[in-house]
Amino acid sequence: MPALLLLPLLLAACDGMPRDVGGTSERISRTGTMRVIVLPATPDAAPALDLLGRYAAAHGATLARVEAHGEHALHMLEEGDVDAVVGHFAKASPWKTEIALSKPLTHGEPDDADTPVLRIARRNGENALVLATDRMVAEARR
Amino acid sequence: MTVHGGIDPVIAADVRRGERLEWWTLFWMSSVIVLMWLTMGASQAMKSAVIEDFLSLVPAIVFLLAARWERRDPNRRFPFGYRRGNSLAFLIAATALLSVGAFLSYESITTLIRREHPTVGGVTLFGHTVWLGWLMIAALVYSIVPPIILGRIKQPVAERIKDKVLHTDALMQKADWQTGLAGIAGIVGIGLGWWWADATAALFIALSIVKDAIGALDQAVAELLDGTPRKLASNELSDDAEDLIAALKSRYGDVSVRLRETGRYIDAEVDCPSPADVPTAADLMGDDAAWRLASLSFRPEPSDPPA
Repeated sequence: MPALLLLPLLLAACDGMPRDVGGTSERISRTGTMRVIVLPATPDAAPALDLLGRYAAAHGATLARVEAHGEHALHMLEEGDVDAVVGHFAKASPWKTEIALSKPLTHGEPDDADTPVLRIARRNGENALVLATDRMVAEARR
Repeated sequence: MTVHGGIDPVIAADVRRGERLEWWTLFWMSSVIVLMWLTMGASQAMKSAVIEDFLSLVPAIVFLLAARWERRDPNRRFPFGYRRGNSLAFLIAATALLSVGAFLSYESITTLIRREHPTVGGVTLFGHTVWLGWLMIAALVYSIVPPIILGRIKQPVAERIKDKVLHTDALMQKADWQTGLAGIAGIVGIGLGWWWADATAALFIALSIVKDAIGALDQAVAELLDGTPRKLASNELSDDAEDLIAALKSRYGDVSVRLRETGRYIDAEVDCPSPADVPTAADLMGDDAAWRLASLSFRPEPSDPPA
């Protein structure tokens, strides 16, 4: 019954769950910088940048734009070289398991899962950042 | 009831009780599966737990089918009846179990090797965005309760009616609630930022499935190869089989006695001429266990025993 014995210990440590696997939120607070890529051909990126700007401000940081294109940008996100990527992504994007896509920012979820809409991509496993930005997206859509 | 079909009145009430328990199992475990599937997200441990719970329906379904077959009378095409359907279904269930356990082990190990970081984000319910992990934990806590209760009720019934499928099902339910606890540990691990915790919990679950499956396969193969009856919980010879062999040897001397299991029943073959006074099942097994002995035959010209 190792799982049962472990449980009280784990639950005692629940405060502040979830945390980031790679410590992104802490790093943003520590360095005062949140690194963001806006994919080319995203003319409507303003609401996403506004949201990320508010997130960064809440951690005493500012946004720093990083220039990168297409797959290169998403690889940088996977590797933790940037903290978020703003762009148009379909719900059924081939990248959906490699990165954590938010819900659409400006529309409802399209009926067609192949239609790209404005979303924020986060690094997999950075669950504190993912939950915080999911909450902000939900509020923005209200 | 005929020689090769139907259920002995001594165990009929317990078999019906087993059937009722399995219908309850299908109902409760289906509700668990739906709830877990709705909250599954990207967690490997949750995925393993859902598949494990889904598989736990197999023994229940197989038991219900086998009980139906057992009631059928023998016919010209199946003169020995359908009691062995139980053994066949048991083999199929065990094989399915082993395949899924192996698949889940592979998935967990590759997740650990690739160092994949599971993402569990927020879900918006009634205007509030909460961490999906809390919903997963709630679903897993719910998933623990029915198996604990059902498993405990089933075990003595399985023992009374010597039903391996029902017994395997009770064991499976033990695996179910342990899976639930391991799953909770995995989700809490994700919450604490330990990327490996989820896949490690999933691997623990998968290996317990493989262990159960290998045990069940051992027994199912023994039954299909006319092996001597095994205990419910292990591959050891059952006590009543040992007692029956001893009883036959004490009556007929040091003769060769072969027992094989047909579903929950025992068929016995003794290498000696037919006695003038053939003992009854109760003479050999005692009144309570007499139903177990389905047939007793004598071979008047025994060949050499197998090497």
